[in-house]
Amino acid sequence: MTAPVRTLLWCAGVALAAAIVAYPLYANGYYLALGISVLYFTILATAWAMFSGPTRYISLATVAFFGLGAYTAAVLGETMPWPVVLLAAAGVGALTAVITGLSTLRLSGIYFVIFSFGLAELIRQLVIWYEVNIHKSVGRYLFSAVTQDILYWQLLGLAALVFLVGWLLGRSRYGLALRAIGADETAASHSGIDATRVKLGVFVLSATFIAMTGAVMAPRWTYIDPAIAFNPTISFQVVIMALLGGAGSLFGPVLGVIPLVLLFEVLTATLPNHFSIVLGIVFVLIVMVLPNGVIGLFGAGRSRVPAERRAAASARTMDAPLLGVEGVSKSFSGLRAVDDVSFTVAPGEIIGIIGPNGSGKTTLLNTLSGALRPSSGTIRLGGTVLNGLRAHQIARLGLARTFQLVRVMPDMTVAENVAAARLFSTSGGSDATGSELLDLVGLGAMHEAPAGDLTYIDQKRLELARALALQPRLVLLDEWLAGLNPSELEAGIALIAKLRDRGLTIIMVEHVMDAIRALCGHCIVMNAGSVIARGAPDEVLTDPKVVAAYLGGEDA
Amino acid sequence: MLLVDIVLPGLVLGGMYALIALGLTLQYGVARIMNLSYGESLVAAAFGAFSLYSGFGLSPLAALLFAVPVAMALNWLLYRFLLERLMRRGKDRGAQEIDSILVTFGVLFVIQGAMLVAFGGQYYSYSYLSIPVVVLGSTLAVNRLVALLFAALVGGAVYLALTRTRIGTAVRAIAVDANAARLVGIDVAALSGLAFAFGGGLVAVGGVLVSMFLTFNAAMGVVFTMKALVVVIMGGVGNVMGALVAGLLLGIVETAVARLVDPGLTLAATYTLFLGVLLIKPTGLFGRAAS
Repeated sequence: MTAPVRTLLWCAGVALAAAIVAYPLYANGYYLALGISVLYFTILATAWAMFSGPTRYISLATVAFFGLGAYTAAVLGETMPWPVVLLAAAGVGALTAVITGLSTLRLSGIYFVIFSFGLAELIRQLVIWYEVNIHKSVGRYLFSAVTQDILYWQLLGLAALVFLVGWLLGRSRYGLALRAIGADETAASHSGIDATRVKLGVFVLSATFIAMTGAVMAPRWTYIDPAIAFNPTISFQVVIMALLGGAGSLFGPVLGVIPLVLLFEVLTATLPNHFSIVLGIVFVLIVMVLPNGVIGLFGAGRSRVPAERRAAASARTMDAPLLGVEGVSKSFSGLRAVDDVSFTVAPGEIIGIIGPNGSGKTTLLNTLSGALRPSSGTIRLGGTVLNGLRAHQIARLGLARTFQLVRVMPDMTVAENVAAARLFSTSGGSDATGSELLDLVGLGAMHEAPAGDLTYIDQKRLELARALALQPRLVLLDEWLAGLNPSELEAGIALIAKLRDRGLTIIMVEHVMDAIRALCGHCIVMNAGSVIARGAPDEVLTDPKVVAAYLGGEDA
Repeated sequence: MLLVDIVLPGLVLGGMYALIALGLTLQYGVARIMNLSYGESLVAAAFGAFSLYSGFGLSPLAALLFAVPVAMALNWLLYRFLLERLMRRGKDRGAQEIDSILVTFGVLFVIQGAMLVAFGGQYYSYSYLSIPVVVLGSTLAVNRLVALLFAALVGGAVYLALTRTRIGTAVRAIAVDANAARLVGIDVAALSGLAFAFGGGLVAVGGVLVSMFLTFNAAMGVVFTMKALVVVIMGGVGNVMGALVAGLLLGIVETAVARLVDPGLTLAATYTLFLGVLLIKPTGLFGRAAS
């Protein structure tokens, strides 16, 4: 872009901004009302997409927060100064979001959608109950000195704030964390991301903006009752606007708001009786034809990876074992999948865990990494007891893992997948950058490729790079070498050997005995949940008990 | 006696909930489509029964013979032309569920809009079999007992069809894992469409029967959708017997809250119960462990 073009663009931008700010000075009543509709739906759709876009938790509860904000303004508006009312509305919205978020965000996506669908109805019923029994009248009158001009400017200020916060969020590590959660929540937790807290934080932020919009909009009605303030059509319109524009990016929703507000305006004027039929058809068409929204047509919407953070390397000297597992058991209602397993892992060692399928190897790894809680026994990493810690806390302490069924975050690029694991990592260890790690695993040329497009082996490599990006002290590899062809296997074994030479401690669950022989100094054989043999690979593989476990004993 | 006063009307109310939830058990539990326009379809069937009764003097039980095949055909078309495409497009079950929620959310407004155009926003009701009978000291209407009976009969028949027939077994296989079902030679698209259409037929049964004793209008579909959802999830997704029991339970809880606490809080009680089940046992009261 040449300098004159850039100046021209800047001038156009400034002129547009000035035209938007000065809009009430030259727009008459009807057009001003239209401008207000565009602005308030812009705020609602952008705030909605802030949470629902990256996480794909489709919230149908927009009007619950909007209505709460409007009601707060109606109740407090006449007795309190306006800034206090706004703050109170924000507070009520945030508090409700914390309560509903804490109880529903642990649910999987579909249940969240369903609950949010009912939430507006529930809050409306509670408000009606309160108004009828306590306030003794269902409706309230609002007398306010707020003119349309002032309303417009308030909304404009709020819109600017939403975009600013959305932009900052997208650039912060929480933005990438949110997308990682949307792509694969389990993988995100095992990369050290506290999924519940990140989701809750952004949900509350989004709800706060929605509630404030409700408060600002309240003076527009002179009479308010629960049917007006909690009108479910608003939730619906916000969702289709955000989806039409594209919920995955900051400026996507606004692209959907403008055409749809205009369309709704025309519809109300010309076809008031068929409004909801047309609305429904438009919505069906959007979902069928434009799944990624208008902005998806331009291929935009990919946000930038936050700058590489280099954690300071801390040299640790450890005499004690790195990992101590003592008497760990895990039962699933009667079935003892892991039965009283004990072992220790010294720093720099590679331990192999082998055994027939169903012997409890993956369950054991799951109890170590926090995916499952052990029923009994103690797990110590360094000096820290891991029992009862959640997956993201264990990951942050420096215990990383890969999954038997490979889990990458498919819609994110290779580089973003690795960056996601560095967001909250605090442990010491190697301080390689993301691109060094990708070079190390052999994905150096693939930084910008979407992870979902990689081949199986490359996804496994990416998973390993992501695990290493946590700067772990200990890595758990769950059948990382399974399904590789002979030359890939050789490369894989060489890679693990290289990691060992860099001082990494590894526990590998594996069926490929050549790899166990080549890499492990010590291995543990499991059968039916218990350890049946331990020692050097060549010793245990000739142990009659082990042979019997694999091939079936005489008494089996 | 207070207990009988709660349990009997509760069971009758619950029978209605079970009845309106049966179709959703098939559509969501088996065909895996979260149909948000469910309640609107139900209200549309109620309007159909109302029109046949007031226009031609046709009894609602005879209206079933018309309503069910029509509803099945419409639902099959909906599946064939909209939902099947989404099922093919979605990368995983999560994406498919979200897409189907969104599309049926649009369909909800189309049906609702059509009903508003045809019938306006006012409430409708008619009187059929509203003969009071006294059972154990409580007065109940015959039409509600008929609905309870139908819920039990239809529920039992669906349960047997799903567990005892070849097609039912194939349909359950799809519900567990559509890809694996395809590998063993099950025509997933055709059978899912069938299950969805069948669910649509059951919605019509529910709508026609509740029209005998409920006052309804074009805008109240959401209430039925929510009730049906609560029942299906409490009973365990895809579990027909679970839905029957959960429906009855919900009826008793609501009647108890209305009698003992405050009639204005029944919906709040419904959601509290719903959320409680989701948090403590998300696979439903009778569900197996999550996959």
